[in-house]
Amino acid sequence: MKREGLTIAMTIISFAVVLLYLSPFIWMIGVSFKPIAEWGAPYFLPQNPTLRNYMELGTGAVYGVRGHFPAIIPYLINSLVSSSVNSILTALLGAMIAYTIQRYRFGGTRLATWILSLRMIPPVAVMLPLVIIVKTLGIYDTVWGLILIYPLITLPLTTWLMMSVIKNVPRETDEAALVDGCTEIGAFFKIVLPQTGSGLAASATIAFLFSWSEFLIPLLLTQSERGMTVTVFAAYFAQEYGVLWGPMSAAGVVIALPVIVFAIAVHKYLVKGLIFAA
Amino acid sequence: MIRYLSTSISKTLRQLKRPVTLLALPAIAFLIFLVIYPTVYLWGMIFFSFHPARDPYPRFVGLENFRIILSDSECWDSLLRTLLVLSMSVPAQILLGILLALLFTSKYTRGSLLLRVLILIPMMIPSVIIGLNWKTILYSHGPFNEILKSLGLEPQPWLSAPFGHPSNTLICLALLDVWQWTPFVTLAMVSAFESIPKDVYEAADIDGAKGFKMFRFITLPMSKSTLVTILLLRVVDSLKIFDTVYSLTYGGPGSSTTTYPFYIFKTGFTLMSLYPSYGYTALLSLVLLGVATVLTTIIMRILKIEEIIWG
Repeated sequence: MKREGLTIAMTIISFAVVLLYLSPFIWMIGVSFKPIAEWGAPYFLPQNPTLRNYMELGTGAVYGVRGHFPAIIPYLINSLVSSSVNSILTALLGAMIAYTIQRYRFGGTRLATWILSLRMIPPVAVMLPLVIIVKTLGIYDTVWGLILIYPLITLPLTTWLMMSVIKNVPRETDEAALVDGCTEIGAFFKIVLPQTGSGLAASATIAFLFSWSEFLIPLLLTQSERGMTVTVFAAYFAQEYGVLWGPMSAAGVVIALPVIVFAIAVHKYLVKGLIFAA
Repeated sequence: MIRYLSTSISKTLRQLKRPVTLLALPAIAFLIFLVIYPTVYLWGMIFFSFHPARDPYPRFVGLENFRIILSDSECWDSLLRTLLVLSMSVPAQILLGILLALLFTSKYTRGSLLLRVLILIPMMIPSVIIGLNWKTILYSHGPFNEILKSLGLEPQPWLSAPFGHPSNTLICLALLDVWQWTPFVTLAMVSAFESIPKDVYEAADIDGAKGFKMFRFITLPMSKSTLVTILLLRVVDSLKIFDTVYSLTYGGPGSSTTTYPFYIFKTGFTLMSLYPSYGYTALLSLVLLGVATVLTTIIMRILKIEEIIWG
């Protein structure tokens, strides 16, 4: 009896703590449904809920002296295109190098260690030369510039994830293929890669998440709706569009929601990848 | 970093004879372009003065940039601020993270999987959005001050720094970091706690260890290596704090939240710089790279890479 009571108490406490922990995010969702008169009001649930903030994100809006902002759509498309291309590109390149490292010890411990350590480099420290080269190549303010530089963030991550995924593919299967006369490269594409299935999908998803959330790179490499992503668009609410909390929070929800949904879908791989667990 | 690469080059060249290494080349090419090339470029830049708008032809200035960095108090202030933020946020994250992990792994707690999924959320929200979110919360008539008022406490100007409240904003920055990254510590510690074999607990239970004693003498020592890794990872990640600074305060008021990465941004990429030179920016960048490399090397020594990848 005492044990049951303790179970109920602990479970309730845990969920209450987590709910409290998430309250800032719940607050943002609340503000995104509030009409202008309630934006700063200190309560979570809007009294007169409205979809206006979301509608205005789609069309852009002018708020007189408070400011104005353009429609989010072109920025959404830029984010979607650059993140999707980067996701497929780095998941594949990551899987390829991970295979040679995991199966053939390409580059030895040192290369593996080096790639892993790239995850910890502050990107701002290497951005100056990269901005210069992107401008020289004439792809400044385009999604191509972003696609070229995003692997700085995602490639070490996908490589690392795929190493542990490929480790779990039984060695016997590709060894059998080699005995049957398959080349090493052929064995990778025909035997190993198909078997990584959900691992490869998770790795691509995580690459998508990280490039979608990336802020510094698009901030430095884009300046207009030709290439600018949603994260930079959102940041301009803090700078130029005045204190338009409703649309700003709506933008926050629109940008954060897909990330959260995908992150929950791959949460097992995500935690593994971030803490370097085997 | 460079050292790791140079010693592996000779080994790699030998391996290149095998056709399978073709698979690694595109990724290697990308990493050389994105990391090695910029690092070499930065080393070359530090002896020059160059800025596309103000100083369009690169001039060799010798050690001039080193002279500037030594006398540039804003640079050292921003480095100090970064250390201040991380000395506030990292211990808080570790402590709170462990507490949450203990709560989640308690044998009395049900729904542990759901809890873990929910706690993942703050960590995955794009940092820029976190900054905007907290801006509406910490605003002087916002909900945070309302809560303080209802508790009978004095509301504070959190995002501005009037006379007498010099470091409010810096505390806010640390608070955001704690909110965002405590889940990371929690999730890592949950998996560390769960990998401790059950029979260790049973043996300790028979020996009469209970509650805090169990934690102090069994749980904590047995997850020590994860804890140390996480601690160092959080320290090195704190050197990256940029997005939240940009969207919460843009380094202000004044330069009270200008962390080191933000200072690099300000110097290299905005018109607010006192020393608008790519050469000087390169030097600032290399200092950051150096600090990050030292910390990373320590982490890599602790992790047993060999075992993780091939074991």
